[in-house]
Amino acid sequence: MFGTESIPFYQIAAPILPEIGLLILLLIVLSADLFLGPSRRRPAGIIAAVGAFIVMAANLVVGLGMVNNEAFAQPVLGGMLRYDMLALIFRTMVLLAGGLTCLIALDVPKVGQQGEFHAIVLVATMGMSLMSAASDLIMVFLALETTSISLYVLAGYLRDTPASAEAGLKYYLFGAFTAGLFLYGLSLLYGFTGVTNIYALAEPLGRQLLDGTNGSFALALALLFLVAGFGFKIAAVPFHFWTPDVYQGAPTPATAFISTASKAASFALLVRVFGAAWPDAVVPLWTSILAAVAAITMTLGNLLALVQRDIKRMLAYSSVAQAGYTLMGVIALQSDLGVASVAFYMFMYVLTNITAFTVVIIVSSATGSDEIKGFAGLSRRSPCLALGMVLALLSLGGVPPLAGFFGKFFLFSAAVEAGYVWLAILAVLNAIVALYYYLTVIKVMYVDETEDTSPIRAAQAPTIVLAITGAGILIIGTVAGPWLAWALAAAQNVTAMVP
Amino acid sequence: MIGYILFGLVALVAIVSAVGMLLSTNAIHAALFLVINLICIALFYLGLNAPFLAMVQITVYAGAIMVLFLFVIMLLGAEQVTLKSQLKWQAPLAIVLAVVMIAATFLLFFNVQASGGLSPLAPISEDPRQTETFGSPYAVGEVLFGAYLLPFEMTGVLLLVAMIGAIILTRNEAGGMRDEQRAASNE
Amino acid sequence: MLDQANFLVPPIYYVALSGILFILGMVGVLLRRNAILIFMSVELMLNSANLAFVAFARSFLDVNGQVFVFFVMTVAAVEVAVGLALIVAIFRTRRSIDIDELHSMEG
Repeated sequence: MFGTESIPFYQIAAPILPEIGLLILLLIVLSADLFLGPSRRRPAGIIAAVGAFIVMAANLVVGLGMVNNEAFAQPVLGGMLRYDMLALIFRTMVLLAGGLTCLIALDVPKVGQQGEFHAIVLVATMGMSLMSAASDLIMVFLALETTSISLYVLAGYLRDTPASAEAGLKYYLFGAFTAGLFLYGLSLLYGFTGVTNIYALAEPLGRQLLDGTNGSFALALALLFLVAGFGFKIAAVPFHFWTPDVYQGAPTPATAFISTASKAASFALLVRVFGAAWPDAVVPLWTSILAAVAAITMTLGNLLALVQRDIKRMLAYSSVAQAGYTLMGVIALQSDLGVASVAFYMFMYVLTNITAFTVVIIVSSATGSDEIKGFAGLSRRSPCLALGMVLALLSLGGVPPLAGFFGKFFLFSAAVEAGYVWLAILAVLNAIVALYYYLTVIKVMYVDETEDTSPIRAAQAPTIVLAITGAGILIIGTVAGPWLAWALAAAQNVTAMVP
Repeated sequence: MIGYILFGLVALVAIVSAVGMLLSTNAIHAALFLVINLICIALFYLGLNAPFLAMVQITVYAGAIMVLFLFVIMLLGAEQVTLKSQLKWQAPLAIVLAVVMIAATFLLFFNVQASGGLSPLAPISEDPRQTETFGSPYAVGEVLFGAYLLPFEMTGVLLLVAMIGAIILTRNEAGGMRDEQRAASNE
Repeated sequence: MLDQANFLVPPIYYVALSGILFILGMVGVLLRRNAILIFMSVELMLNSANLAFVAFARSFLDVNGQVFVFFVMTVAAVEVAVGLALIVAIFRTRRSIDIDELHSMEG
């Protein structure tokens, strides 16, 4: 129980600093929207973006300052959150993604000019930030739903466009259904143990399993339901059906946000729940379930991506495949490298995918279509954009010396270390297939001819985004050491039990 | 004994109303079946020492949520719904799933019964001092505003975003542009 | 005041019932093609999970399970508001809420 005098104020405020900051920011953005008038709402988005970056920086500074504090890596706020390195790293990711999303949305017509869009992005970011730190099943469910519900609205934001409304509804239907499954899974877990804290689950669960076989079926069911809930959030096969339609139909900034931040936060939660909640006896069961899911996800995602002609659909299937790769790190959760590789891969994935979608936004607003054909001759129409896209695609493909190479390297070695050599081999084969369709887009940009050779001009805000993310991809790729050390630090205290 | 009879009756109503909802071809009827089902669940809450939740269930679910459903159905004039349609692969899948899971539910249930209720799923502790205050609004409120203060505050944000979201998704564009569109779509 | 002991049914009965209702809800989601009916089936699923929570809370005499249900109800209300808004939006653009007709995008 918190709120007693013995706990100093900063120990209560620091763990929820991002939420406090985002809430204040949300109110500022909403009031700014109110006072700015219909035609001059651009500042609302700028405030949201800059504010998100400030919150990110403040959280990072305070968090790193708290590392040696006694409240660090401990349950706080009544056990709702656990303030640790994992939370810190993933919160940095989602806040970065939130801020960048506001920036790239600024010049998108009917989206970025409205303060509400940025307000909902901020609420979704708040939900994701809580997802990264949640350590109680109630908080988990609430954070998950805060995120999901905000994202449904973002996906259907262009309500007059049939594709967007349809994307919103499809996302919603899948999300609500899997949320129901997830919730029933949580209720079974609660029924087993009588506790709702993630870190307190493992011990009673293990005891029940030793006592008798009565509940092992229900436990397996709970596990499957949780996998379904997480599978939806990270877009893993067979819960990926919404992905292509939502990615294609949603406004592109929302797509960028859904594909990056939502996935990153879900992986944070997945790592925390699966790392801490299951007793040792269940570990072989869930690792083999997730290994099967990972294998199918990466293979199917890559194969379907091969045949796409729409760039957003291609990136959707590519993001399904990326979720498959990342699951390898979750499978290897027992080792520090497993957690670290997930954190590292997601960081690079957030930067890379936002780069790709930023280029897509600029190019499709110039050409008026999302077809891959529209990228023809981009190297001559705008060398910088083409270069940004090349960086993003090669990083997704795992080409050295970009961030994606080290990301994949760590994931694969984590899988090998965990004894899943076949999965690592499959992943390498998949990476080669994936390189094919990434290179196809690069070929279209650099080799194919087009009649329209007018140069494409990028607006200021997306240019800033491209500069940030492009630099990030290069820096993380060339000096991977410190980042991995950081991620390893996150790994070391994530699975430790509550004393 | 009387408890079992009452439970059986209400459970029967709950299941029948759920099936009725699944099979009805009129959205209004389906909504009303669901209301019956929700009220049954509120009764179960009373039987499980959760009077606070029973009241919330009635006001929020049977009251607010279902009224919203009925409102939207009538607003859209979407009462008539077909039952059939192209039930490609879903139908067999759903039926297989249902059979397997109902069998599993019963298996689990009888397992637990056979083991004398000592299973992980039903350890009933009967301390009269505890049962008396358990589930009272006071007890729920104490926990809600104690350990669960942070999630409680978050629900405020959640309600705000629902409000903003619902307005965004349904409002008309300001000005005459929208009227032109409507005129165009009426043709 | 009636003697409460007469009314006490072991929570496992409620859990079994919640399982049945949950399955019915799931079948509804998979079978029905109308978006509003799918929503209703999802509500049934959430409610059955709630019932299981309350039953477990009763068997543990642990009030946390009841608080969980309180939050689920809030989330359900929010979800319905947003979901119905999406339905209204989609009905405006295409005059139908049959999800089989939602295929404006290539598969």
